Amino acid sequence: MLNYSLRRMMAVIPTLFILIVICFFLMRLAPGGPFTSERPLPPAVMKNVLERYGLDEPLYVQLWTYIKNILFHFDFGPSFSQKDRTVNDLIAQGFPVTLTYGFFSAVFVLVLGIPLGVVAALRHNSFWDYVMTGLAIFSQIFPNFVLAPIMVLLFTLSWGLLPGGGWNGGQWPYVIMPAVALGTSYMASVARLTRGSLLETLSAPYIRTARAKGLPERTVLWRHALKPSLLPVISYMGPVFVYMITGSVFIDVFFSTGGIGQNFIDAAYTRDYSVILGLAILYSVLTFALTLMVDLVYAWIDPKVRSGLK
Amino acid sequence: MKIFTYALALTMTTALSSQAIAANVPAGTKLADDQTYTYRMLDESSSVDPQLVEDTDGSGIVRDLFEGLYNQDGNGKSVPGVALGHTVSDDNMTYTFTLRQDAKWSDGNPVTAHDFVYAWKRAVTPELASPYAWYMELMSIKNGAEIIAGEMGPDALGVSASDDHTLVVELSQPLPYFADMVAHATTFPAPKWAIEAHGNEWTRPENIVGNGAFVLTEHVPKERTVRERNAMYWDNENTVLDKVVSLVIGDDAQALTRYRAGELDKTDIPAGQYPTLKEELPNEAIAVPRLCNYYFSYNLASGPEAFQDVRVRKALALALDRNVIVDQVLQGGQFPAYNFTPAATAGFDVPSIDYADMTQAERDAMAMELMAEAGYGKGGEPLAFTYLYNTSEAHQQVAIVASQMWKQKLGVDVTLENQEWKVFLENRGNQNFEMARGAWCGDYNEASTFLDLLVSSSGYNDAKYNNARVDELMASAKSSQAPGPLYTEVEQILADEMPVVPVYHYSANMMLKDNVEGWPVNNVQQKYYSKDMYKVAE
Repeated sequence: MLNYSLRRMMAVIPTLFILIVICFFLMRLAPGGPFTSERPLPPAVMKNVLERYGLDEPLYVQLWTYIKNILFHFDFGPSFSQKDRTVNDLIAQGFPVTLTYGFFSAVFVLVLGIPLGVVAALRHNSFWDYVMTGLAIFSQIFPNFVLAPIMVLLFTLSWGLLPGGGWNGGQWPYVIMPAVALGTSYMASVARLTRGSLLETLSAPYIRTARAKGLPERTVLWRHALKPSLLPVISYMGPVFVYMITGSVFIDVFFSTGGIGQNFIDAAYTRDYSVILGLAILYSVLTFALTLMVDLVYAWIDPKVRSGLK
Repeated sequence: MKIFTYALALTMTTALSSQAIAANVPAGTKLADDQTYTYRMLDESSSVDPQLVEDTDGSGIVRDLFEGLYNQDGNGKSVPGVALGHTVSDDNMTYTFTLRQDAKWSDGNPVTAHDFVYAWKRAVTPELASPYAWYMELMSIKNGAEIIAGEMGPDALGVSASDDHTLVVELSQPLPYFADMVAHATTFPAPKWAIEAHGNEWTRPENIVGNGAFVLTEHVPKERTVRERNAMYWDNENTVLDKVVSLVIGDDAQALTRYRAGELDKTDIPAGQYPTLKEELPNEAIAVPRLCNYYFSYNLASGPEAFQDVRVRKALALALDRNVIVDQVLQGGQFPAYNFTPAATAGFDVPSIDYADMTQAERDAMAMELMAEAGYGKGGEPLAFTYLYNTSEAHQQVAIVASQMWKQKLGVDVTLENQEWKVFLENRGNQNFEMARGAWCGDYNEASTFLDLLVSSSGYNDAKYNNARVDELMASAKSSQAPGPLYTEVEQILADEMPVVPVYHYSANMMLKDNVEGWPVNNVQQKYYSKDMYKVAE
């Protein structure tokens, strides 16, 4: 398993390199640059600014300098639009924010989604099953960009219970709405996945065997049925979790959390090259790390998978 | 040397307690217990470093953290800041500012003329590469342009400290409005010792040293900045607000909801909502003139042949019903524009322009006549062109209405094209358009900040308009002590030749809680100072 993980990690390096090169050239294709403004800079000022940030060099030199700075100094460059900050600063500030509400959102999704799915599966075609299905459909038709404004109208404007946005150092009243708004539709999906998968498992021959052995229903469920039923949930949650912790752009903008997602759009609009690249790299590394983690969790749950990981 | 007749400069001692330079709280006012003022910013500031800041919101923060030679009062007039007054040499080329003795930095060091010298040199050094170096060039400080171009070292800049409290500035040409330009953030002093100790990180709350009425205590990019009262500020006893918080909220509607929920004391009004909000909250919805204009620019260099005909240019300008655009489309208290410079500009009298006084029916009749004479449109050669604007709902609505007016009245076919902001700027700047949206906000409160745009050598002249007389008039206005008549003549030439179509002059729309006093609604540049504000008890 260790070998396998190492091999996977080695594969990340060339992939990242290709990703950097593609992103680097793609963003340069967009017309305008970081210092294109309504008030065009006089040529002498423009020259100084471009020199200061090394943007006057040929593209391949810029690319090499960029990669060199990352490799030797772990320096992802300065931000052009926020001149007091570097990309490292911006990520160090914004990522923990997104990670925090993304984490709580994921907890919310799992803690609520799995039990709902289990209850619906066990009480198949009963009142509780219909409630769960109804709830799932309801959350699906209320994606976060519909749910968030409704929540703010209710919890902030009408009832005055929660602040309508901001982060304020991550105090809990500021975390609740972003986490719930982000997670609700995933929670519904997780509930549906759990329900479907558990129903399937419960009708499997080995469950019948377990019951025939006279094991109590509780043991059948917890020891034998639930674990394999969660495999689809785990593979679903991997990418979703990356998405959650790297920030829903909408949640970051709407709740003004100061999270990393906001930087991504702003950087694209302002052609803040180093911020765009820095975030693209962060997203990719997280995606790699999380998919690897999902695979390892898979192996831990499923012996069949484990023996395949050589 | 002649003494500059600067009203407040002459009464230096009384100026200290003058109502114009601190929160002006009428006797008997009951102040609110909590003097925290919270407002919305659309986006994170570009910087809080005075020499680097570029955006208006960021400049607002910098005005709280630092204080320049002069501040502006509620009407936009310059009032003493660190400088008590100044004198001007007979040739109008040398300005000598007298600085107050009691100004201190937040770390207790005295604010001296050397801090200004350091800051002004810093602003033009190629190493700092401030995009706002152009402002120093605009101020015509001696050798500024040469230093920016790398031809001279920063020490050659025409600014020096003859003693700790006297700052001498030499100009490369006389500039009648020079003294009004020093209320701009780029010219604020900078603490050399703090910058040298902390480098790029000197603006962090833990490192920053300022000389303004507030100090930066918290700064979370894209989320909030918090400024608190600076005990070292020379006029701290007259500052009323204890804490100023700016929250970055990207979404207009969400900002308004949070304003309604009481989380904000001030926010912007989402497009088109001013009339309803004014009705609902008449004391809080505010629309005031803003020093910005909105116009359509013809491409006179490589646009359609028809645009070379002044009759076509005039016909399109005449057929545009600005009242419809302002009253029915935008609905935010904007002002129909028939000339380029906003009427709110200081010292500028709107010249009488013939078509401004006509009724729209008269304008339409004249437009049709001119178009027929030129041989285009209905009954003539078909005229079609593309109008380019940057993607935005409000610009789109204006574009649709204008194109419909031109279609109906003149039979002109306009194709609308919108582009993302930077793509748009790139195309407009390279004359890669036929007609394009233009807008400009004044850098200082004087007509030349607008009219300079139409000088043939201007980098902002997207129309590529070229009129020798306009160039000449604007050049002589630079050194004239009474440039008013020159501006009038320029405006009249523009109305005759119509290189651009003025559409409207902006208004600033905002929601401001009615217990907040001292926000300068009459300052057309919206230069607010938190030290001048206070909250009354409700």
